Amino acid sequence: MLFGAGAAAVALLIPWLPDPASKQAERINFVFWFVTTICIAIFALVAAVIVYSILHFRARPDDDEDGPPVHGHTGLEIVWTAVPAALVTAISIVSAVVLAQNERLPSAESASAAQAAQASTVNGLCKPRRGDPLKPLVVCVTGQQFAWLFQYPAFGNASSATLRLPIHTTVQLQLQSKDVIHSFWVPEFGQKQDAVPGLLTKLVITPTKLGTFPVICTELCGLGHALMRSQSTVMTSDKFAAWTKSQRRGGSAGGGGAPSGKALFVSNGCDGCHTFKPAGAKGTVGPDLDKLPALAQRAGQPLAQFIRESIVKPDAYVEPGYPKGVMPSTFASLPAAQLDALVKYLQQGSK
Amino acid sequence: MSEAVVGFHEHEAQAAHPSPPPPPRGWHRLLAPGWLRVPWMTALFFGIGAGIVVLVRWAEGWEPIWKGSVITTVELAAVPFGFLAGLGGFDYWTRYAIGAPTLPEDHSGHGAYSWRDYFRINTDHKVIGIQYLVTTVVFFVIAGLLAMFMRAELARPGMQFVDNQTFNGLFSVHAALMIFLFVIPAFAGIGNYVIPLMLGAPDMAFPRLNALSFWLLPVAGIMMLSSFLVPGGPFAAGWTNYATLSVNQPLGDTFFSMAVQWAGASSIMTALNFLVTIITMRAPGMTFWRMPLLVWANFTTSLLVVIATPFIAGSQFFVLFDHIMHTNFFNPDAGGYPLGYQHIFWFYSHPAVYIMMLPGFGIASEVISVMARKPIFGYRLMALSLMAILVLGFSVWAHHMFVAGMAPWLRVPMMVTSMVIAVPTGIKVFSWLATLWEGRIHFETPMLFALGFVSMFVIGGLSGIYLAAVPIDIHTSDTYFVVAHIHYVLFGGSLFTIFAGIYFWFPKMTGRMYNEKLGKLHFWLTFVGFNLTFFPMHWLGLQGMPRRVADYVPKFADLNLFISIASFGLGASTVVFLYNMVVSWRFGPPAPPNPWRSLTLEWQVSSPPPVFNFDEVPQVVGNPYEYGVPGARHGVFNGDRVHEPEEAPVS
Repeated sequence: MLFGAGAAAVALLIPWLPDPASKQAERINFVFWFVTTICIAIFALVAAVIVYSILHFRARPDDDEDGPPVHGHTGLEIVWTAVPAALVTAISIVSAVVLAQNERLPSAESASAAQAAQASTVNGLCKPRRGDPLKPLVVCVTGQQFAWLFQYPAFGNASSATLRLPIHTTVQLQLQSKDVIHSFWVPEFGQKQDAVPGLLTKLVITPTKLGTFPVICTELCGLGHALMRSQSTVMTSDKFAAWTKSQRRGGSAGGGGAPSGKALFVSNGCDGCHTFKPAGAKGTVGPDLDKLPALAQRAGQPLAQFIRESIVKPDAYVEPGYPKGVMPSTFASLPAAQLDALVKYLQQGSK
Repeated sequence: MSEAVVGFHEHEAQAAHPSPPPPPRGWHRLLAPGWLRVPWMTALFFGIGAGIVVLVRWAEGWEPIWKGSVITTVELAAVPFGFLAGLGGFDYWTRYAIGAPTLPEDHSGHGAYSWRDYFRINTDHKVIGIQYLVTTVVFFVIAGLLAMFMRAELARPGMQFVDNQTFNGLFSVHAALMIFLFVIPAFAGIGNYVIPLMLGAPDMAFPRLNALSFWLLPVAGIMMLSSFLVPGGPFAAGWTNYATLSVNQPLGDTFFSMAVQWAGASSIMTALNFLVTIITMRAPGMTFWRMPLLVWANFTTSLLVVIATPFIAGSQFFVLFDHIMHTNFFNPDAGGYPLGYQHIFWFYSHPAVYIMMLPGFGIASEVISVMARKPIFGYRLMALSLMAILVLGFSVWAHHMFVAGMAPWLRVPMMVTSMVIAVPTGIKVFSWLATLWEGRIHFETPMLFALGFVSMFVIGGLSGIYLAAVPIDIHTSDTYFVVAHIHYVLFGGSLFTIFAGIYFWFPKMTGRMYNEKLGKLHFWLTFVGFNLTFFPMHWLGLQGMPRRVADYVPKFADLNLFISIASFGLGASTVVFLYNMVVSWRFGPPAPPNPWRSLTLEWQVSSPPPVFNFDEVPQVVGNPYEYGVPGARHGVFNGDRVHEPEEAPVS
């Protein structure tokens, strides 16, 4: 009893889980407390028996006698096989139901929860569902070393380095990765999903609280893994609508002018690793780009050529003190126009 | 140590054996197996390896002909062969294979008469057991120091002592050493020493294979450690070495992939040896239902090892091929499947959790029954639950992949099988508790560690239930919650039982008693330090701290500092252990044959036992745990058989 009370106090007095900010997290919390109740009971029982035995069945140092030769008790053995079996069955059922609920999408098109979460091996392209763009809101999430990019296909492919979500709207994240496996997690949303190269994986979130929450990469993805953090902002529907509208008007969606160098710098995740004052970037994984001219000098190359080579063939010259093979070579596939814009931006910004 | 092995002199090999050939003289010594032959044979095999690579690349016209990464990979396979051949690991079989007359077995490779005998190919299972334990403790200390470096870096947010590459290397090498060079082989070492004695056998079934499987271990361990010296730093993709990250790692990753092959080969050989020994070399009367539970545990563990280990070998070869040979097993751009790696990897690595746990269950059963002076409660169900875990262990691997993007339908079945494993595990825990009940409990150090194990393992098992429940796992996967869980299972579970086993059989192995006060001090420091270090990690994980990071958000700073301080205390507790072991081994009071008044066979011979274990073949007449049953015997020796059964000799 005492141990049960002690363990329960530890369980209740410490806020173990973050405040849930999504419907899914609320359901996960329910499962968590369901399991915790059962586990406290079992732990209290075990701890009580051990401590009682230590106190009451302790042999004196000179006591050479043996205990009673009890070999077993069939009834007891059946009980401690059957009761845990029943408990884990209950936990399994609750978990399976919550899992299904947590993957349900509002629209009728999502026939089953399983289908909703299905990872397709087709060269999985993220695309919006037909019908109401907010039922559910589809966000394309791209992970790369060491940054996240969020795109909104139903809103002219508006893109953002932070995740923006309208409150009380079910969102389906469709995750892809450009290089290695990453994992998208917002502790307050309770939901997590790996982004796997070559796969399109999916995750459902229904935010219930306004505010800003951290986005964390939880799958070791290389040297900058610890810094692969971003933010998710839950806003009112009106604010979200205003944001999408502003993106559509001024953004790159129409195929008009080339995206600005700064936008490219952020959307390609350069700021995840590099420091660059004009973009407000403070990464420390890679060399400080404010010092680009000095770096180019050390490499013995003209500035523009050095920047371009460092983007498309990062291992051709590596600044001493930084390991080879960290800077992803995926940027070689950037469209020529974007590459030019990026080189120009870095060249001007570092002077 | 030298005094400890004097006991062996009294039990010289029987006169019937042929006398050993005269020791080689002059330059002939370079040809005899041993450390003089090691350098030139290693160099020879290095040359052969490099020669093959250069020849093939020259013949195929591949530039450059001398390519570092390829040479390194081939040499990591070739050089150990040279080392082992030089030491004499293959001499007997080579002669047999080439048709030369095999040397008559003179048993000169048996037993230890000086400390030098521990540094050669030795076919005595007791020597090999001690070689295993000392080697694994060395790697335990090294891996523990790596963890101390990690905690130093994690004491404050931001980067202080090491860079990211080094930090990723620290936790990768820490985990790989602890798993492949400490927990798995430490259990193999205890088993090596104890199992033949428990069975009433003179040695393992294949003593030469046994010697070879030990010498593979330092090879694997040094290979892992030497990755710190190669350009690009140590392997840094975690001990899980997930593709596609691992495929693009610097050269150090190759050292992990190859070291796992050597450690895995060692595991498989030992496991086969255990299986054949247990099946064929039991003393007369030792039926399966009369085997001590440690024997049962090693039997099931060995089955797990033999079935599962080839899978991790395969997974690492695939990574290596993708890395060096430009295959595309895991490259999605060329039709590869990154999740394929995880399926193959966990098909070994989840059963590996039981490989690291079941022998501990066996040790706990021995210690608890002897020290509570009661028969183990529900002996047959204890053995059957081991078999149940063995079978279920192969059906749960994908619970490591609930968020990995694998086929969604696979999640609920894997959750159910993972949950069901709690049932046989629960049976074991409750049976230990029932064994304690109304016992006459003696709290010597092994018992403290065994009880510490039961309570800590329950916490690890219960947090396992959280991780098996898919919705909770989605939240906690890859966070510090998982770090806490695996340390409660592998530290609170495996390590506590390894300590229990080392203290329990220390008198038998060394012929000396350890210092009980220091043993108890070691337990309490470890127990408290362990909980202060790892329990808060549950909270960190639930609140949002991912695993495998050198840097974290400032709100976790205070708790991380606390954990780091606690972990240094935990690390310091190991010094007490090492001091106790070294000093007691040299200067401890001589141990009686049976200090714990145990019934099992290993305690019915001298401490340490004679070279061939039993001067006469024991006859097993009863169950191994009949404490409190008047006149019960487990094994009798020939001379005893006509007499009235009596209590086991009490010193």
